[in-house]
Amino acid sequence: MKKTAIYQRKRPDSPRWLNKWIQSLPWFFGFVLAVFGCLVIFVVNATTGRIHPGNAWGLGYGIGATVALVAVLLYTVRRRTMKLRPPGRAWTYLQVHVYGGGIFLLLMLMHTGFRIPSGIHTWWLWLISLWVVGSGVLGIVIQKWIPTVLSAGLAVEVHYDRVPELIEHIRTRSEKIVASADERLREFYESRVAPSLVAPEPRLMYFIDITGGIHARIKPFEYLRALLPASDQESLDELKELFNTKLEIDAHYTLQRVLRTWLILHVPISMVLVVLLFIHIFSVLYY
Amino acid sequence: MAKGKQKRKGYFSDLRLPVVKEYIYPSARSSLLMIGGIGAFLVAVVFVFNLTVQSGSLVSNGPLSSNHASFGGECASCHTAFDRVSDAKCSVCHEKFGDELGAFTYSSHYLYRSGDFTRLVPSPDEVACFSCHPEHQGTSSSITQVPDATCTTCHEYGSFNSRHPEFAFASEKIEDPANLKFSHTQHVTEVINQEGLVDIEQSCLYCHHARDEGKSFKPISFETACSACHISTSVSTAWLPIASSSRRAGVQTIGSIQTRQAPGTRWADYMTSAEFQQRRDEVRKRPVYHRDPWILENLKRLQDELYRDRNDLAELLQASAGEDPRGARALYTEALATLEDYAEELRSAPGRDVQKALNELDELIRVVKARIRDPFSPMDETKFLLGPDDINPDLDAADIAELESVVDGLTETCQTCHTVQQSAILRVQKDQRVLIRSEFDHRVHIIQRGCLECHSSIPIREHVARDSVATAAIDHAGIQNLPTIETCQSCHAPAKAVNTCVSCHLFHPDKSQHTNLLRYFE
Repeated sequence: MKKTAIYQRKRPDSPRWLNKWIQSLPWFFGFVLAVFGCLVIFVVNATTGRIHPGNAWGLGYGIGATVALVAVLLYTVRRRTMKLRPPGRAWTYLQVHVYGGGIFLLLMLMHTGFRIPSGIHTWWLWLISLWVVGSGVLGIVIQKWIPTVLSAGLAVEVHYDRVPELIEHIRTRSEKIVASADERLREFYESRVAPSLVAPEPRLMYFIDITGGIHARIKPFEYLRALLPASDQESLDELKELFNTKLEIDAHYTLQRVLRTWLILHVPISMVLVVLLFIHIFSVLYY
Repeated sequence: MAKGKQKRKGYFSDLRLPVVKEYIYPSARSSLLMIGGIGAFLVAVVFVFNLTVQSGSLVSNGPLSSNHASFGGECASCHTAFDRVSDAKCSVCHEKFGDELGAFTYSSHYLYRSGDFTRLVPSPDEVACFSCHPEHQGTSSSITQVPDATCTTCHEYGSFNSRHPEFAFASEKIEDPANLKFSHTQHVTEVINQEGLVDIEQSCLYCHHARDEGKSFKPISFETACSACHISTSVSTAWLPIASSSRRAGVQTIGSIQTRQAPGTRWADYMTSAEFQQRRDEVRKRPVYHRDPWILENLKRLQDELYRDRNDLAELLQASAGEDPRGARALYTEALATLEDYAEELRSAPGRDVQKALNELDELIRVVKARIRDPFSPMDETKFLLGPDDINPDLDAADIAELESVVDGLTETCQTCHTVQQSAILRVQKDQRVLIRSEFDHRVHIIQRGCLECHSSIPIREHVARDSVATAAIDHAGIQNLPTIETCQSCHAPAKAVNTCVSCHLFHPDKSQHTNLLRYFE
C-alpha cells in the first residue's frame, strides 16, 4: 500500500512538491500578487521620482514594512494568548506570519532602495531584518524537510521530549537481556553497546543520510552470531533490535533538535529587531 | 515492507516500547523570550545612552558628506527636535554674507538663466534644501550631485539622451550677434603662416584667450586679439570736409574741439596736430587708433545732425550704439561711466555754477548707480537704440547724402571690421558665451578632443589645408561655430561620459560662474 502524505490528500491532483511546499494556493498567489504590486510601484517610483527613504515614496515603503512587521508579530501574540481564545484560526495567523515576513523584507529593501544603509543603526536594522526573515525561511525549509526525511527513512516515531525516557527504557531492557546471556555477549554489550545507551547521541551524519551508519554499527551483531550458542541467538536478536531502535532514536533526536533549536536563531533576534525598529521610528521623528 | 516494520498506531516497533497515556506538552520556550528580552533591553540601553549622554551617532543615518564633515557629532547644527531640517539652518552658513536675492530659492532659479524678473514670484514648487541635497550619504558622496530625477520632476526632459531639447542657438537658428566682418579661415591661415605653426588648433589660442580657471574664454578685445597684427599707424581716414557755420556736412578739427571744451573731450588736450593733415577745407587723420576719440567725437556730431531726435542716452555710450547681449544694464553701466568721466572733468572747473551742477550730477550718478545695481528695477533698453524713422526732418536728400558720405569717409578704416548702421558703429559682441543655460568646461574637454572636432561649423581645417579663404556664406562672424546637442550626446550617454543634469546645469546662481545673477553687485 502506497503511503499518502496528509498534504497530498487535500489536493490529490496537484504535484507532490507543490502540495508539500505550498499549503494554500490562495495565500501563495496573494503573496505573489503583493510582491508584484510592490515591484511595480517601485519601478514607477524609480522612473518618475527619486529612490530615497525620506521622500513620500520611501516613507510609504517604510510605513508599509512596519505594518507588515506588526502583522507578522500577531502570530506570536496569538500563540501566547491561546487561553484567551483570540479571534481567527492559528493557521491563518501562521500564513500572515510567513508571507507577511516576505512582504516586510521586500518593503524594507524598497525603503532603503535596495542599498546597504550607511548609518550604524540603520545598517544593523537592515542586517537583522535580513537575518530574521532568512532564519524564518530556514525554519520553513527544515519543517518541510525533516519530518519527510524522518518518516521516510526510519521505522520508529519518537516524540522529542520522550527521547531520554525511551533510551533509559532500552538500556534497562538491554541489561536485563545480557544479565543471563553468554559471557561473550555480555562483553560485547559492555564494550560496543552500553556506551551508546547512556544518552542520546546526535550525529551530523544523519543530516546527510538518515540511515547513515546504523547498518554498519549493527553489522558486528552478525559477526558475533557465529560465536554464540543457539540458546543466546534470540537474546542477540532482541539486543540487536534494541540497539537499532536506539540508533534510530538518535537520528530522530539529531534532526528534531534542529526543529526545536532553529527558533534560537529567529525569536530572540526578532525581539531585538522590534526594539531597533522602534528606535528607528523615534529617531526619524526626532531628527 | 516486512510485517514487523509496518507501523501500527500505539507501537514504535516490534519492541513495543512504552506508550504515554496522556498528551505531551512541548517544553516551554520561555528561555527564547528571556534571551531575546535581555538582548533587546541591552540594545535599548545602548541607544538611549547614546542618544541622551553621547552625540547620538548610533542613530545617525550615516557619515556626513565631506562638505559638512566638520560638524561631526553636532546634530543640533542642522537638526531640531521633532522637526525636519529647516532651510533656515542651512542659511546660517550658506547665506552668511547677505543674500538679498535669495539665491537658494526657486525664484532665483527661474531668474538665474532667464534674466526675467517677472518670474520672481513665490513658487509652489519650492522645496526644502534637503529634498535635493540629502545628507548622511557618506563622506565620499557629494550633496551637490543632485540626481536627474529631482530635476525631471519639473523639467520633463527625461534625460540628456532622450528628450533634452536642442541648444537654443541651433533650434532657433540664432546668429552670433558679433557685428563684425570676420573670416575665421583667413585669420587662421595668416596666423599659421606668420607664426609657422604646425598644429592648426594652436592658432585658435592667438585670439581666444582662456580664463585663468581654464573653463571658458575671456571676451575678445581689440587690444589682446587684434592689435598685434592690425597696426593702426599705417592707416588714415579719407580726406574729410571741415565743418563750418555754412557747412554742416563736415568734421571738426582738433583745434576747434580743444577750443570748445565740451564734456568728454579732455582727450583732445593730449592729441597733437601732427596726427592731422590739412589741405584747404579738408582734413584727414593718420594714424587711426582703435576707438579713435576724434573719429568718435565727429561721428557723434554727425549723428546729431542726421538723427536730431535720437535718444540722448545713446550719446553717452562710449563707442557704439545698439543692443548689448548682456542686456540693458550693460548699456546703462557704460553710459554711467561716461557720465562719471564728465563729472571728473568738471571737478577742476572753479565756477560756483559749475560746482552746483557738479553736485547735482553726483547726486544723479548716485541715484542711477543705485537703480542699475537694483536687479528689480526695470531697464529700458530702447533708450539706447536708434529708431528707423528718426532722421532729421529738416534735412533734404542732398544733405543726408552729403552727411552720410562724410560718415563713410570718417569710418572708412573702421568699416574694415565693423558695421556702420545709421551713422553708428554697431556694438560688438565681445563675449563668446553662447550656452547661457549651462556651464561648459573647456579645460576638461580639450584633454580628449581638439577644438575643431566640436567647432566644425566653419570648414577651417579644409580651407587651411588648401591655403584658401572660405566664402562669406560659410565663414562669417554670424555663424555660431558650435556643436549641436548631437555632438555632445555622442560622448555623454549612459555607460559613457557623465550625462546627468547637474554636470552641465546649475540650479542655484553660482558666484564663480560667468552667468552670474549677482553680477549686478560686482
